[in-house]
Order: sequence, then C-alpha cells, then structure tokens
Amino acid sequence: MEFPVFAPSSVCFSSGKGGVGKTSISINTALALVDRGFRVLLVDGDLGLANVDVMLGLSVQTTMRDIIANDEDPRTVLVYPEPNLAVLPASSGVPDMVNLGPEDQAVIGQILQVLSADFDLVFVDVAAGIGPSVLWFNTVVHHNVVVITPDPTSITDAYALIKVLMRDHNRRRFYLVANMVRNEKEGIQVCQGLIKVVKKFLNVEPEYLGFVPRDNLMARAVRDQVPAVRSAETGKADEAIRKLAARMARGL
Amino acid sequence: MKEKKAKKDFCPHGFPDCPILGEIRDLRDACARLSHQVETDGLTGLYNYRHFLKALETEMERSRRLGLPTSLIMIDIDHFKAVNDTYGHEAGNRVLQHVGSIWRTHTRKIDIACRYGGEEFVIILPTTRLYRAVNTAQRLRKTLEEKELPLADGTSISITASFGVDACDPKENCTEEEFVDRVDRFLMQAKSEGRNRVCHRGSHGKTLTTELSREEREALFASKPGD
Repeated sequence: MEFPVFAPSSVCFSSGKGGVGKTSISINTALALVDRGFRVLLVDGDLGLANVDVMLGLSVQTTMRDIIANDEDPRTVLVYPEPNLAVLPASSGVPDMVNLGPEDQAVIGQILQVLSADFDLVFVDVAAGIGPSVLWFNTVVHHNVVVITPDPTSITDAYALIKVLMRDHNRRRFYLVANMVRNEKEGIQVCQGLIKVVKKFLNVEPEYLGFVPRDNLMARAVRDQVPAVRSAETGKADEAIRKLAARMARGL
Repeated sequence: MKEKKAKKDFCPHGFPDCPILGEIRDLRDACARLSHQVETDGLTGLYNYRHFLKALETEMERSRRLGLPTSLIMIDIDHFKAVNDTYGHEAGNRVLQHVGSIWRTHTRKIDIACRYGGEEFVIILPTTRLYRAVNTAQRLRKTLEEKELPLADGTSISITASFGVDACDPKENCTEEEFVDRVDRFLMQAKSEGRNRVCHRGSHGKTLTTELSREEREALFASKPGD
C-alpha cells in the first residue's frame, strides 16, 4: 500500500530559528507563483502562533483547529485572498495545537489531502524550532525549503534542523533560501557555506534555491499587511522573489 | 497469559456433575495453555520467534494505516559463549532469564519483547520514532550493564549487550524481511565497533543527540561569509 502523499507538489518552509522571514518568503513566493498561473494552497503550519493571516491582512473566523475539534468541512475554513491563492489558517495562542499527537497528525494529513486536490501547489509555513509538528510537516511534503540568514545562529539552527530531518526522518533533499542578505553574491556565499558543512557531516547536498535581499520594501510590507509582491512599488526584493518562484516553478 | 473469566457452564440435561462438561473444561484449559506456549519462549517468558513474525506484520500494517513508523531493536548478548564455557550452561540460562526480565520490565506495555533465538533478542516498538527507540535502547544497554547477575556461588557476573536500532517509515514501503535485515546490520555494526553499544542510522557509534558536535560548530562558524 502506498502511503498517501499529496497529489500536487508540496513544499514545506522551515528555518529552525525564528524571525528569519519564513512566513514572508512563503507568502510572497506563493503569490509570485500564482502570477505564473499556479493555484496555490498556503497552509499556516505554525499551529500555536499563526500569522500568515496577519501578514495578508485577512480576517479569519474559523481555523484548522475548528476542523479538528468540531469536524468542520475543511473547504469552508479556507480563505481566498485571491482567486488562485487559498489560505488554511491556524489558530493563534493555542498551546495544545503545538504538540500534535499521532491522531491529530493523521487528521491533518487527511485534511490536507482532501484540500490539496483543488490545487497545483501546497505550501506549508511551519513554526520555528524543531518541535514535533515542525518535523511532521517536513516529512509529509515533497520538498523541504530551509530559510536562512547570514546570522550564525540562523545557520546553526538550520543545520540542526537538516540534521534531525535527515537522520531521524530519512529526508535527503533540501533547498536553501538566503534571506536578509545584501545581494545575490552574499546569498550564494551564505548558502554555499552551509551546503559545504552539511555535505561534509551529513552526506547530503542541499541545493541553493535563491535569495531575498534585505530592503525597506519587505519590512514595510509586513507593517502594511500587504505582501511585497503585491505592493505598488517594485524593488530588489520583489525581483528576487520572482526569480526564486521561477526557479521553483521549473523544479516542482 | 490471557485467561478469560470462566464462563458459567451448564449442562443442557441439567446433570449436576456432568462428565462431558468436565471434559470440555479440561480441553478448554489445555487449549489456552497450549496457545500461550505456542507464542512464548519457555526459558525467558518472552514472546518467541513465531510470535515475533506475526506481531511485526501486524505492527507494520498498523504503521501504514496510522502513517507512523515502527521501530525495532535487535539485541545480542556480548560474549555469551564465554559465559557458557566459563560458568556452565546453567549459568548461561540464568543470564538469558536475567536479560529477558530486564527487557520486559524496562519497556512499555505496548512494546513486544521477543527471544529471536539463541542469545539474540528483538523488541518491536509500535508507532515509535527512531529517536525514542534509540533512547529506549540506550536505557536498556545501561540498565543491563549496571545490573550484575548474582550466581549461586556468591560471585556475580556483569553482562553487556550490543544493540541495533532502526525505524521503518510506512512511506518507505519496505517488507518485514528488509526491515529486520536493516536492523540486523546495525547490530553487526555495534558488534564490530566493540560491543556494548547502540548503533542506528547516522550513529557512527556515537550517542544520539540533537546537539551539534564541536567539529560541526567549528565548520559552521568557519564558513561564515566574508571568509
């Protein structure tokens, strides 16, 4: 029997360390892929402290928790900020959602499977850290994207995450995105450094997927609750994200 | 083992001391005793190889349904032949019982500890991830090492064992035989690396920690941009 894997391509965005811009990158990449004609489902995998909805300025009534607790129809919980982008919101401030038990995992797995039938791509934006739900989401998707910054703690945490996923969960394909870098050169440099160490100690070779420069546009986008890709201004960040999305579209 | 509550028997003819009823009762008891014996190892009281095969199949099927991995620990007592040769076969049997009772008392109720054959044991850990299984194996290894077995002559022997651990993810679609082979290879590795240790995927003989080693840290910091 084949274990059910989502029919569309699924990608998990994680980082180990918090505050590296995971959510921002997953939202913007999702939107850039929508512009390329994909129908994308964005799952807020930060089950205890959700914020995809906040970043998109959505008002959310029901969340993944309602599906699990009250047997709500998963489809009614989806929020559509755009016709081809759906968000499956999670609840915020609910500690019991952080540590998923096996039954919850099985239920969420089924929910995702049902929902993903209508999409080309499923993005999961997980919580920071390497808790059970982070590891679980990372193991049910096809592709693991790890977001890093030049900050040494971010690189160390990303390495630890890759190590655990590789050693305990048999994951072998990782993609790196460097955020908050000065330019593409620094992005490649930061990723190459990590790739080298992962290759040496873990014997797997993550791939460089792209970079997002640190610029005012990204910071303002979060504050205004309008994603950079949808902002009236265009900038380097916007351009880099579209490049990242293009590379992803080719690989997925 | 699984003694059902005795049902109230009654004779359809109402004989107070019905001989047929007595016979049926005896047969039923014998049947329960035999089915217990069929799946138990007489010496250690653990499950036997036959039950192991059945239980592994069941648990891996459960894994597929739940989407959770099944873990397996394979254990081989170190230098068991030397114990037999030095202290005699009676002592050898005592060692097997001693070891078996540690496996039973230091695992969860849902874990299935079996005697695989000879001085080899195997423990199935249903719906358990690798790191938990490795922790269990580490605990068993340490407990065994610390608990000396007192002999009849007043001396005591200290026993150690080698452990191989792996988890089978339902997504891997591997068969029971492949899984057992895989775990057996980690056991071989533990033996060849010097015994009294736990080997598993990515262990390289080291203990399982999520912490990074000094070498890893140094390499990461050496790779800081601007280098």
